[in-house]
Amino acid sequence: MIAAILAGIGCALVAIGTLGILRFGDLFSRLQASGVSDNAGLGVLLVSLMVRGGWGSEDWGLLILLALLLLTNPIATHSIAKSAFTQGYRQDRP
Amino acid sequence: MIAAAEGVVAATLVAVLFRLIAGPTTWDRLMAYNSVSNRGIVIMAAISVTTQEPVLLDVAIVYAMLSYLGVVVLSRFVERGQVHR
Repeated sequence: MIAAILAGIGCALVAIGTLGILRFGDLFSRLQASGVSDNAGLGVLLVSLMVRGGWGSEDWGLLILLALLLLTNPIATHSIAKSAFTQGYRQDRP
Repeated sequence: MIAAAEGVVAATLVAVLFRLIAGPTTWDRLMAYNSVSNRGIVIMAAISVTTQEPVLLDVAIVYAMLSYLGVVVLSRFVERGQVHR
C-alpha cells in the first residue's frame, strides 16, 4: 500500500521532470528539471522499492544505492552548471 | 506495480534520449547522459528486486559510481580543455 503510493509519487515526479527536460528553453532551467526528476523522483522510487515487503538483506544495497545517488547527483549537476557558466553560457533575460 | 513504474521510467529514458541527441549545447548532452544513466540504474535495481537476483544490484552500484565519474570528468574537460590542473 505504502509502496504503491510512493511508486505513484515517484512516477509522477519523474514524468514532470522529464517534461521539464524536454520543454524548457534554457540550460539552467533544464538542469533544475533534471534535479527534480533524478533526485526526488528516482529517490522516492528507490524508497518504494525498499519499503516493499519488509526489511530484507537486499535493502542494504538499495540503501547504499540511494545514498550514492543523493550524494553524487547534485555534484554532477553543479559541475555541469559551473562548466557552462565559466565557458560563457548565459541565461537569456527578457 | 513495480512493472508499471519500470515502464514509466523506461518511457522517460527514451524521451530523455531525444535531449541527448538533439541538445543544442554540449552541457545539455552531459545532463541528458546523467539522467539516462540514473534511469538505467533505477531500472536495474527494480529488476534485481523483482527477480530476486542480488548480483544486479551490485552492478547498479558500480555503474552509478562510473557514470558519476564520467560526467564529472567530461564536464571538467569541457570547462578547461584538460582534466588535470
